[in-house]
Amino acid sequence: MTHSLHRRGTDEYLKNDFTLLVTAASGINHIGSRDGMIKVLEAVWEIGPTNIGSNERGTILSGVTVDQIREGFTKVPRVRCNFATKKKAFAAVKKIKELDTGMSVTLSGPLEATLEMCKEYGIKPHSINLSLDVWGKKDKLPSEEVLELVTMCGHGLVGRPLIEETIEKVKQGKLSPQKATVIIGHLCVCGIYNTERAEKLFEKCAPKK
Amino acid sequence: MRIRQDLCIGCGQCLPYCPMGAIERGKHTSHINWDECVECGICIRQTKCPVNAIYEPPETMEWPRSVRKVFSDPTSKHENTGVRGRGTEEVKTNDVTARFKRGFFGIALEFGRPGVGTRLGDVEVITKALAEEGIRFEAANPLTFLMEDALTGIIKTDVRNEKVLSAIVEFVIPQEDLEEICTKIYDTAGKAKCIFSWALISRFEPDGTLPVVERLERIGIKPSNNMKVNVGLGRPLKEE
Repeated sequence: MTHSLHRRGTDEYLKNDFTLLVTAASGINHIGSRDGMIKVLEAVWEIGPTNIGSNERGTILSGVTVDQIREGFTKVPRVRCNFATKKKAFAAVKKIKELDTGMSVTLSGPLEATLEMCKEYGIKPHSINLSLDVWGKKDKLPSEEVLELVTMCGHGLVGRPLIEETIEKVKQGKLSPQKATVIIGHLCVCGIYNTERAEKLFEKCAPKK
Repeated sequence: MRIRQDLCIGCGQCLPYCPMGAIERGKHTSHINWDECVECGICIRQTKCPVNAIYEPPETMEWPRSVRKVFSDPTSKHENTGVRGRGTEEVKTNDVTARFKRGFFGIALEFGRPGVGTRLGDVEVITKALAEEGIRFEAANPLTFLMEDALTGIIKTDVRNEKVLSAIVEFVIPQEDLEEICTKIYDTAGKAKCIFSWALISRFEPDGTLPVVERLERIGIKPSNNMKVNVGLGRPLKEE
Protein backbone atom coordinates (compact mmCIF):
# COMPACT_ATOMS: atom_id res chain seq x y z
CA MET A 1 0.00 0.00 0.00
CA THR A 2 0.97 3.64 -0.28
CA HIS A 3 1.62 4.21 3.41
CA SER A 4 4.42 6.74 2.88
CA LEU A 5 2.38 8.83 0.44
CA HIS A 6 -0.31 11.47 1.04
CA ARG A 7 1.52 13.40 3.78
CA ARG A 8 0.00 16.82 4.22
CA GLY A 9 1.52 20.07 5.34
CA THR A 10 3.33 23.16 4.20
CA ASP A 11 6.56 23.12 2.20
CA GLU A 12 8.34 24.55 5.25
CA TYR A 13 7.78 21.27 7.12
CA LEU A 14 7.55 18.79 4.24
CA LYS A 15 10.99 19.78 2.97
CA ASN A 16 12.47 17.94 5.95
CA ASP A 17 10.47 14.76 5.70
CA PHE A 18 11.84 11.85 3.65
CA THR A 19 10.69 8.26 3.97
CA LEU A 20 12.94 5.52 2.65
CA LEU A 21 11.61 2.04 1.84
CA VAL A 22 13.92 -0.75 0.73
CA THR A 23 12.00 -3.80 -0.42
CA ALA A 24 12.70 -7.28 -1.72
CA ALA A 25 10.18 -8.45 -4.32
CA SER A 26 8.49 -11.70 -3.42
CA GLY A 27 9.13 -14.37 -6.05
CA ILE A 28 11.63 -12.24 -7.96
CA ASN A 29 14.67 -11.38 -5.87
CA HIS A 30 13.75 -12.21 -2.27
CA ILE A 31 15.68 -15.49 -2.13
CA GLY A 32 19.11 -14.78 -0.71
CA SER A 33 18.26 -11.14 -0.07
CA ARG A 34 18.64 -11.26 3.72
CA ASP A 35 22.39 -10.58 3.88
CA GLY A 36 22.11 -7.62 1.54
CA MET A 37 19.19 -6.22 3.49
CA ILE A 38 21.17 -6.50 6.72
CA LYS A 39 23.89 -4.36 5.13
CA VAL A 40 21.25 -1.82 4.09
CA LEU A 41 19.77 -1.75 7.58
CA GLU A 42 23.14 -1.19 9.21
CA ALA A 43 24.12 1.49 6.69
CA VAL A 44 20.94 3.55 7.06
CA TRP A 45 21.06 3.23 10.83
CA GLU A 46 24.57 4.68 10.85
CA ILE A 47 23.38 7.71 8.87
CA GLY A 48 20.88 8.58 11.59
CA PRO A 49 17.19 8.20 10.75
CA THR A 50 14.62 9.93 12.94
CA ASN A 51 12.73 6.64 13.05
CA ILE A 52 13.19 3.05 11.89
CA GLY A 53 11.27 -0.16 12.44
CA SER A 54 9.33 -3.08 11.06
CA ASN A 55 5.75 -4.32 11.20
CA GLU A 56 7.10 -7.55 12.66
CA ARG A 57 8.95 -6.04 15.62
CA GLY A 58 7.94 -2.39 16.08
CA THR A 59 10.10 0.74 16.06
CA ILE A 60 12.96 2.31 17.96
CA LEU A 61 10.38 4.63 19.53
CA SER A 62 8.66 1.65 21.13
CA GLY A 63 11.97 0.41 22.53
CA VAL A 64 12.94 -2.03 19.79
CA THR A 65 16.65 -2.20 18.87
CA VAL A 66 18.14 -2.40 15.42
CA ASP A 67 19.37 -5.89 16.29
CA GLN A 68 15.78 -6.93 16.99
CA ILE A 69 14.61 -5.42 13.70
CA ARG A 70 17.32 -7.41 11.89
CA GLU A 71 16.41 -10.62 13.72
CA GLY A 72 12.77 -10.07 12.76
CA PHE A 73 13.44 -9.98 9.02
CA THR A 74 11.02 -12.29 7.20
CA LYS A 75 11.71 -14.30 4.05
CA VAL A 76 10.85 -11.13 2.13
CA PRO A 77 12.86 -8.59 4.15
CA ARG A 78 12.18 -4.87 4.15
CA VAL A 79 13.71 -1.74 5.66
CA ARG A 80 11.49 1.20 6.55
CA CYS A 81 12.79 4.47 8.00
CA ASN A 82 12.44 8.22 7.99
CA PHE A 83 14.99 11.00 7.71
CA ALA A 84 14.38 14.54 8.92
CA THR A 85 16.92 16.11 6.58
CA LYS A 86 17.49 15.99 2.86
CA LYS A 87 21.20 15.52 3.43
CA LYS A 88 20.75 12.32 5.43
CA ALA A 89 18.09 10.88 3.12
CA PHE A 90 20.26 11.41 0.08
CA ALA A 91 23.31 10.00 1.85
CA ALA A 92 21.28 6.86 2.54
CA VAL A 93 20.30 6.44 -1.11
CA LYS A 94 23.90 7.01 -2.17
CA LYS A 95 25.11 4.36 0.24
CA ILE A 96 22.46 1.86 -0.89
CA LYS A 97 23.47 2.44 -4.50
CA GLU A 98 27.08 1.67 -3.57
CA LEU A 99 26.02 -1.50 -1.74
CA ASP A 100 24.34 -2.64 -4.97
CA THR A 101 22.12 -5.25 -3.32
CA GLY A 102 19.50 -5.22 -6.08
CA MET A 103 16.69 -4.36 -3.68
CA SER A 104 14.04 -1.85 -4.78
CA VAL A 105 14.30 1.60 -3.23
CA THR A 106 11.61 4.25 -2.97
CA LEU A 107 12.07 7.69 -1.52
CA SER A 108 9.00 9.70 -0.51
CA GLY A 109 9.41 13.45 -0.18
CA PRO A 110 9.53 16.65 -2.24
CA LEU A 111 9.76 15.81 -5.97
CA GLU A 112 12.15 18.51 -7.12
CA ALA A 113 14.80 17.70 -4.51
CA THR A 114 14.49 13.96 -5.16
CA LEU A 115 14.98 14.37 -8.90
CA GLU A 116 18.01 16.61 -8.32
CA MET A 117 19.46 13.88 -6.11
CA CYS A 118 18.92 11.25 -8.81
CA LYS A 119 20.71 13.47 -11.34
CA GLU A 120 23.63 14.10 -9.01
CA TYR A 121 24.11 10.38 -8.26
CA GLY A 122 23.59 9.22 -11.83
CA ILE A 123 20.36 7.42 -10.94
CA LYS A 124 17.60 7.01 -13.52
CA PRO A 125 14.29 7.17 -11.63
CA HIS A 126 11.95 4.38 -12.68
CA SER A 127 8.39 5.15 -11.54
CA ILE A 128 6.47 7.62 -9.44
CA ASN A 129 3.43 7.51 -7.18
CA LEU A 130 1.70 10.89 -7.23
CA SER A 131 -0.66 12.05 -4.52
CA LEU A 132 -3.78 13.64 -6.01
CA ASP A 133 -5.32 14.85 -2.73
CA VAL A 134 -8.35 13.76 -0.72
CA TRP A 135 -11.77 13.45 -2.39
CA GLY A 136 -15.32 12.66 -1.34
CA LYS A 137 -16.99 13.67 1.89
CA LYS A 138 -14.29 16.04 3.07
CA ASP A 139 -16.39 17.50 5.86
CA LYS A 140 -15.45 14.35 7.80
CA LEU A 141 -11.82 15.44 7.93
CA PRO A 142 -10.21 17.07 10.97
CA SER A 143 -8.37 20.40 10.74
CA GLU A 144 -5.15 20.72 8.72
CA GLU A 145 -3.27 21.13 12.00
CA VAL A 146 -4.42 17.63 13.00
CA LEU A 147 -4.07 16.17 9.51
CA GLU A 148 -0.38 17.06 9.35
CA LEU A 149 0.19 14.75 12.30
CA VAL A 150 -2.35 12.10 11.24
CA THR A 151 -0.92 11.66 7.74
CA MET A 152 2.61 10.87 8.92
CA CYS A 153 1.22 7.43 9.80
CA GLY A 154 -0.11 6.16 6.48
CA HIS A 155 -1.52 3.08 8.20
CA GLY A 156 -3.90 5.36 10.12
CA LEU A 157 -2.82 4.16 13.56
CA VAL A 158 -2.04 7.63 14.93
CA GLY A 159 -5.61 8.77 15.18
CA ARG A 160 -7.49 12.01 15.43
CA PRO A 161 -8.75 11.65 19.04
CA LEU A 162 -5.27 11.24 20.52
CA ILE A 163 -3.75 13.98 18.38
CA GLU A 164 -6.51 16.45 19.25
CA GLU A 165 -6.14 15.68 22.94
CA THR A 166 -2.35 15.92 22.78
CA ILE A 167 -2.39 19.23 20.89
CA GLU A 168 -4.77 20.63 23.50
CA LYS A 169 -2.46 19.59 26.34
CA VAL A 170 0.51 21.18 24.58
CA LYS A 171 -1.47 24.39 24.02
CA GLN A 172 -2.32 24.49 27.71
CA GLY A 173 1.31 23.94 28.67
CA LYS A 174 0.48 20.61 30.35
CA LEU A 175 2.67 18.64 27.98
CA SER A 176 5.99 19.51 26.33
CA PRO A 177 6.38 19.11 22.54
CA GLN A 178 8.99 16.42 23.22
CA LYS A 179 6.68 14.34 25.43
CA ALA A 180 3.77 14.88 23.04
CA THR A 181 5.89 13.47 20.23
CA VAL A 182 6.75 10.35 22.21
CA ILE A 183 3.07 9.77 23.06
CA ILE A 184 1.90 9.78 19.46
CA GLY A 185 5.06 8.63 17.65
CA HIS A 186 5.27 5.18 19.19
CA LEU A 187 1.86 4.20 17.75
CA CYS A 188 3.39 3.91 14.28
CA VAL A 189 4.42 0.26 13.95
CA CYS A 190 6.52 0.40 10.79
CA GLY A 191 8.98 3.19 11.57
CA ILE A 192 8.18 6.00 9.15
CA TYR A 193 6.67 8.53 11.55
CA ASN A 194 8.86 11.65 11.44
CA THR A 195 9.32 12.53 15.10
CA GLU A 196 11.49 15.58 14.49
CA ARG A 197 8.80 17.09 12.29
CA ALA A 198 6.11 16.16 14.82
CA GLU A 199 8.03 17.91 17.57
CA LYS A 200 8.35 21.07 15.46
CA LEU A 201 4.62 20.98 14.75
CA PHE A 202 3.87 20.67 18.48
CA GLU A 203 6.28 23.54 19.20
CA LYS A 204 4.03 25.76 17.06
CA CYS A 205 1.16 25.02 19.50
CA ALA A 206 3.14 25.46 22.72
CA PRO A 207 2.67 28.64 24.79
CA LYS A 208 5.29 31.26 24.03
CA LYS A 209 7.83 31.62 26.83
CA MET B 1 -11.47 -5.99 20.66
CA ARG B 2 -13.35 -5.98 23.91
CA ILE B 3 -12.76 -4.78 27.46
CA ARG B 4 -13.32 -7.18 30.36
CA GLN B 5 -15.96 -5.45 32.43
CA ASP B 6 -14.95 -7.39 35.54
CA LEU B 7 -11.41 -6.03 35.31
CA CYS B 8 -11.82 -2.50 33.91
CA ILE B 9 -11.36 0.21 36.53
CA GLY B 10 -12.77 2.95 34.32
CA CYS B 11 -9.58 5.04 34.32
CA GLY B 12 -10.24 6.11 30.72
CA GLN B 13 -6.57 5.95 29.78
CA CYS B 14 -7.32 3.95 26.62
CA LEU B 15 -10.06 6.24 25.27
CA PRO B 16 -8.06 8.67 23.09
CA TYR B 17 -5.83 5.99 21.56
CA CYS B 18 -8.57 4.46 19.41
CA PRO B 19 -8.25 6.06 15.93
CA MET B 20 -11.99 5.57 15.42
CA GLY B 21 -13.02 6.93 18.81
CA ALA B 22 -14.74 3.60 19.44
CA ILE B 23 -13.84 3.27 23.12
CA GLU B 24 -16.64 4.72 25.23
CA ARG B 25 -16.82 5.51 28.89
CA GLY B 26 -19.68 4.12 30.96
CA LYS B 27 -20.58 4.91 34.54
CA HIS B 28 -17.84 2.78 36.11
CA THR B 29 -16.05 1.11 33.21
CA SER B 30 -15.11 1.71 29.60
CA HIS B 31 -16.28 -0.45 26.73
CA ILE B 32 -15.58 -0.80 23.02
CA ASN B 33 -18.31 -0.03 20.53
CA TRP B 34 -18.25 -3.35 18.66
CA ASP B 35 -19.74 -1.91 15.48
CA GLU B 36 -17.28 0.99 15.26
CA CYS B 37 -14.14 -0.96 16.22
CA VAL B 38 -11.96 -1.69 13.16
CA GLU B 39 -9.68 -4.21 14.96
CA CYS B 40 -6.51 -2.21 14.31
CA GLY B 41 -5.04 -3.48 17.58
CA ILE B 42 -3.74 -0.12 18.84
CA CYS B 43 -5.63 -0.43 22.15
CA ILE B 44 -4.28 -3.87 22.99
CA ARG B 45 -0.74 -3.16 21.80
CA GLN B 46 -0.12 0.40 22.88
CA THR B 47 -2.34 1.76 25.61
CA LYS B 48 -0.70 -0.14 28.47
CA CYS B 49 -3.97 -0.84 30.28
CA PRO B 50 -3.04 -0.93 33.99
CA VAL B 51 -5.21 -4.03 34.59
CA ASN B 52 -4.85 -5.75 31.17
CA ALA B 53 -8.57 -5.58 30.59
CA ILE B 54 -8.39 -5.28 26.79
CA TYR B 55 -8.53 -8.56 24.88
CA GLU B 56 -9.17 -10.00 21.46
CA PRO B 57 -12.14 -12.37 21.63
CA PRO B 58 -12.31 -15.40 19.28
CA GLU B 59 -15.17 -13.83 17.28
CA THR B 60 -12.71 -11.19 16.01
CA MET B 61 -11.38 -13.79 13.62
CA GLU B 62 -14.75 -15.17 12.55
CA TRP B 63 -16.06 -14.36 9.10
CA PRO B 64 -16.99 -11.68 8.11
CA ARG B 65 -15.58 -9.71 11.05
CA SER B 66 -12.12 -11.12 10.33
CA VAL B 67 -11.73 -8.77 7.36
CA ARG B 68 -11.55 -5.80 9.75
CA LYS B 69 -8.19 -6.84 11.12
CA VAL B 70 -6.76 -7.57 7.68
CA PHE B 71 -7.62 -4.07 6.46
CA SER B 72 -6.74 -2.22 9.66
CA ASP B 73 -3.85 -3.90 11.46
CA PRO B 74 -0.57 -3.66 9.51
CA THR B 75 0.90 -6.46 11.61
CA SER B 76 -1.62 -8.96 10.21
CA LYS B 77 -1.02 -10.81 6.96
CA HIS B 78 -3.59 -11.27 4.22
CA GLU B 79 -3.87 -14.82 2.92
CA ASN B 80 -4.65 -13.58 -0.57
CA THR B 81 -1.57 -11.41 -1.10
CA GLY B 82 0.77 -13.20 1.30
CA VAL B 83 2.10 -9.84 2.48
CA ARG B 84 1.16 -7.51 5.27
CA GLY B 85 -0.83 -4.57 4.02
CA ARG B 86 -4.04 -3.43 2.42
CA GLY B 87 -2.87 -3.46 -1.16
CA THR B 88 -0.10 -4.65 -3.43
CA GLU B 89 3.53 -3.53 -3.38
CA GLU B 90 2.40 -0.96 -6.00
CA VAL B 91 5.34 1.29 -6.97
CA LYS B 92 7.67 -0.05 -4.25
CA THR B 93 9.03 -2.87 -6.39
CA ASN B 94 7.87 -1.72 -9.82
CA ASP B 95 11.44 -1.63 -11.15
CA VAL B 96 11.58 -5.42 -10.89
CA THR B 97 7.90 -6.43 -11.17
CA ALA B 98 6.80 -4.07 -13.98
CA ARG B 99 3.36 -4.09 -12.42
CA PHE B 100 2.88 -0.69 -14.07
CA LYS B 101 4.30 -0.78 -17.56
CA ARG B 102 5.18 2.06 -19.87
CA GLY B 103 2.03 3.16 -21.67
CA PHE B 104 -0.16 2.55 -18.61
CA PHE B 105 -1.01 4.31 -15.34
CA GLY B 106 -1.81 2.73 -12.01
CA ILE B 107 -4.58 4.21 -9.88
CA ALA B 108 -5.15 3.63 -6.17
CA LEU B 109 -8.16 5.11 -4.37
CA GLU B 110 -7.74 4.52 -0.67
CA PHE B 111 -11.11 4.81 1.04
CA GLY B 112 -11.20 5.92 4.68
CA ARG B 113 -7.77 7.55 4.53
CA PRO B 114 -6.74 9.79 6.17
CA GLY B 115 -7.94 8.79 9.59
CA VAL B 116 -11.68 8.46 9.01
CA GLY B 117 -12.24 4.76 8.26
CA THR B 118 -14.80 3.30 5.90
CA ARG B 119 -17.48 0.64 5.61
CA LEU B 120 -16.43 -1.75 2.86
CA GLY B 121 -19.74 -1.21 1.07
CA ASP B 122 -18.97 2.51 0.76
CA VAL B 123 -16.38 1.85 -1.94
CA GLU B 124 -19.14 0.69 -4.31
CA VAL B 125 -20.03 4.22 -5.33
CA ILE B 126 -16.72 4.27 -7.19
CA THR B 127 -16.19 0.59 -8.02
CA LYS B 128 -19.59 0.22 -9.72
CA ALA B 129 -19.07 3.37 -11.75
CA LEU B 130 -15.60 2.27 -12.80
CA ALA B 131 -16.75 -1.24 -13.63
CA GLU B 132 -19.30 0.29 -16.02
CA GLU B 133 -16.34 1.91 -17.79
CA GLY B 134 -14.75 -1.50 -18.25
CA ILE B 135 -12.15 -1.17 -15.48
CA ARG B 136 -10.59 -4.45 -14.31
CA PHE B 137 -9.59 -4.30 -10.65
CA GLU B 138 -6.22 -5.57 -9.42
CA ALA B 139 -6.60 -9.29 -8.68
CA ALA B 140 -3.87 -9.32 -6.00
CA ASN B 141 -5.56 -6.57 -3.98
CA PRO B 142 -7.53 -7.87 -0.97
CA LEU B 143 -10.50 -5.60 -1.74
CA THR B 144 -10.96 -7.17 -5.17
CA PHE B 145 -11.05 -10.51 -3.37
CA LEU B 146 -14.12 -9.24 -1.48
CA MET B 147 -16.08 -8.34 -4.60
CA GLU B 148 -19.10 -10.49 -5.46
CA ASP B 149 -18.19 -9.94 -9.04
CA ALA B 150 -15.08 -7.99 -10.02
CA LEU B 151 -16.72 -7.19 -13.36
CA THR B 152 -19.48 -5.21 -11.64
CA GLY B 153 -17.53 -3.82 -8.66
CA ILE B 154 -20.20 -5.08 -6.26
CA ILE B 155 -18.96 -5.94 -2.76
CA LYS B 156 -20.07 -9.23 -1.16
CA THR B 157 -23.20 -8.72 0.91
CA ASP B 158 -21.81 -10.27 4.07
CA VAL B 159 -18.85 -7.85 4.29
CA ARG B 160 -20.50 -4.62 3.16
CA ASN B 161 -21.07 -3.30 6.66
CA GLU B 162 -17.65 -4.24 7.99
CA LYS B 163 -15.75 -1.14 9.08
CA VAL B 164 -12.02 -0.87 8.37
CA LEU B 165 -9.32 1.79 8.69
CA SER B 166 -8.94 1.89 4.93
CA ALA B 167 -9.44 -0.15 1.77
CA ILE B 168 -7.77 0.45 -1.59
CA VAL B 169 -9.46 0.29 -4.99
CA GLU B 170 -6.55 -0.52 -7.29
CA PHE B 171 -6.39 -0.84 -11.07
CA VAL B 172 -4.43 -0.04 -14.23
CA ILE B 173 -5.54 2.05 -17.21
CA PRO B 174 -4.04 2.63 -20.65
CA GLN B 175 -2.45 6.09 -20.90
CA GLU B 176 -4.97 7.25 -23.48
CA ASP B 177 -7.85 6.74 -21.01
CA LEU B 178 -6.42 9.09 -18.37
CA GLU B 179 -8.73 12.06 -18.86
CA GLU B 180 -11.87 9.95 -19.24
CA ILE B 181 -11.28 7.83 -16.13
CA CYS B 182 -10.07 10.71 -13.97
CA THR B 183 -13.12 12.73 -14.91
CA LYS B 184 -15.32 9.76 -14.00
CA ILE B 185 -13.66 9.53 -10.57
CA TYR B 186 -13.81 13.30 -10.16
CA ASP B 187 -17.56 13.35 -10.96
CA THR B 188 -18.39 10.31 -8.84
CA ALA B 189 -16.46 11.54 -5.79
CA GLY B 190 -19.27 13.98 -5.00
CA LYS B 191 -21.64 11.05 -4.39
CA ALA B 192 -19.28 9.25 -2.00
CA LYS B 193 -20.40 8.77 1.60
CA CYS B 194 -16.78 8.61 2.64
CA ILE B 195 -13.42 10.17 1.81
CA PHE B 196 -10.64 8.67 -0.26
CA SER B 197 -7.00 9.53 -0.93
CA TRP B 198 -6.17 9.32 -4.60
CA ALA B 199 -2.81 8.15 -5.94
CA LEU B 200 -1.62 7.76 -9.52
CA ILE B 201 1.42 5.74 -10.58
CA SER B 202 3.37 6.50 -13.72
CA ARG B 203 6.61 5.42 -15.32
CA PHE B 204 9.11 8.18 -16.02
CA GLU B 205 9.63 8.68 -19.74
CA PRO B 206 13.04 7.57 -21.11
CA ASP B 207 14.14 11.24 -21.06
CA GLY B 208 13.15 11.55 -17.39
CA THR B 209 10.04 13.67 -17.96
CA LEU B 210 6.54 13.14 -16.53
CA PRO B 211 3.96 14.30 -19.09
CA VAL B 212 1.15 12.95 -16.89
CA VAL B 213 1.47 15.93 -14.55
CA GLU B 214 0.57 18.42 -17.28
CA ARG B 215 -2.29 16.23 -18.47
CA LEU B 216 -3.72 16.05 -14.96
CA GLU B 217 -3.41 19.79 -14.48
CA ARG B 218 -5.30 20.39 -17.72
CA ILE B 219 -8.33 18.62 -16.25
CA GLY B 220 -8.05 20.47 -12.93
CA ILE B 221 -6.15 17.92 -10.86
CA LYS B 222 -2.92 19.20 -9.31
CA PRO B 223 -0.57 16.57 -7.88
CA SER B 224 1.09 17.31 -4.56
CA ASN B 225 4.78 18.28 -4.59
CA ASN B 226 5.25 15.50 -2.08
CA MET B 227 5.43 12.10 -3.78
CA LYS B 228 7.09 8.71 -3.82
CA VAL B 229 9.76 7.79 -6.36
CA ASN B 230 11.03 4.32 -7.16
CA VAL B 231 14.61 5.29 -7.94
CA GLY B 232 15.26 2.22 -10.08
CA LEU B 233 17.95 0.45 -8.07
CA GLY B 234 16.13 -2.93 -8.01
CA ARG B 235 17.59 -5.84 -9.99
CA PRO B 236 16.87 -7.52 -12.34
CA LEU B 237 15.53 -4.28 -13.81
CA LYS B 238 12.39 -4.55 -15.92
CA GLU B 239 12.32 -1.79 -18.49
CA GLU B 240 9.09 -2.83 -20.25
